[in-house]
Amino acid sequence: MILSTLGHDEVVADIAVDTGSSLLEELRADGRTQQLAIERLHALLVRAARFEVARRRPALPHLRGDELDDIALEAADDATISVLARLDDFRGESRFTTWVYKFALLEAAVKLRKRAWQGREVPLEPEEWTGLSAGGPTAEATVEQRELLARLQHAIRSVLTPHQRRVLVAVALNGVPIDVLAERLNTTRGALYKTLHDARHKLRVHLEEEG
Amino acid sequence: MELEQTLARLLGPAEAEVDCDTCFAELDRYVELEIAGADADAAIPGLRAHLAGCPACAEEHESLHALVAAERRD
Repeated sequence: MILSTLGHDEVVADIAVDTGSSLLEELRADGRTQQLAIERLHALLVRAARFEVARRRPALPHLRGDELDDIALEAADDATISVLARLDDFRGESRFTTWVYKFALLEAAVKLRKRAWQGREVPLEPEEWTGLSAGGPTAEATVEQRELLARLQHAIRSVLTPHQRRVLVAVALNGVPIDVLAERLNTTRGALYKTLHDARHKLRVHLEEEG
Repeated sequence: MELEQTLARLLGPAEAEVDCDTCFAELDRYVELEIAGADADAAIPGLRAHLAGCPACAEEHESLHALVAAERRD
């Protein structure tokens, strides 16, 4: 982890009074100025990562507090590296602090999802076709929804490739987080979302053609 | 309700959407526009649809919005 010589509260309070613009300048400087700026950045990212961990904590009752804080600190470390590598991507269209926060939130969220699914089998086949509770506003709407689901089930089997079917079922039906599935299938979140998007498009086109 | 949500997750958003990388690149600007009360959807077309179709990006959007909004209240 990246060690800080400054107190966490002191650093965050200092940054919170501005929008991070001076921090950006100092991160682009050299020597001691840059080193201190990196420590301030890290403190800011720890704050964001802990915020994310606190939000997701109710969904992770089996994790101890120190394990969760380790995840937050690892996320902040990884986010610090990402931010420093991508400083030139900052276009000044938001506050610098808002821009850096998203890196820590992403890292923390991904780590938490992977931790939640650690050791669990990822279901790639439909688990929930039966037993879905109907909830249309009227009985007629409920019947329509059930008919649509039946047509969708058929379309999923007949028009999608095996890979598209596995990704759609895992993510959209079985609730597998896309980062977790990407890790298991040795691919990226972006590539999997493209697969999911293409599968959904195929299904929509097929349903329209059916009328 | 569960059936309706399942259908929505399977079919995804009907309108054009950005991809995950574009969503991440624009998320900070989008959230600030939302918090400022501006028309974020008009400024960044396709991002709202992506959030409707991508649970992971939607979670990260909720978190960034909550963090920035909390900070502005302090």
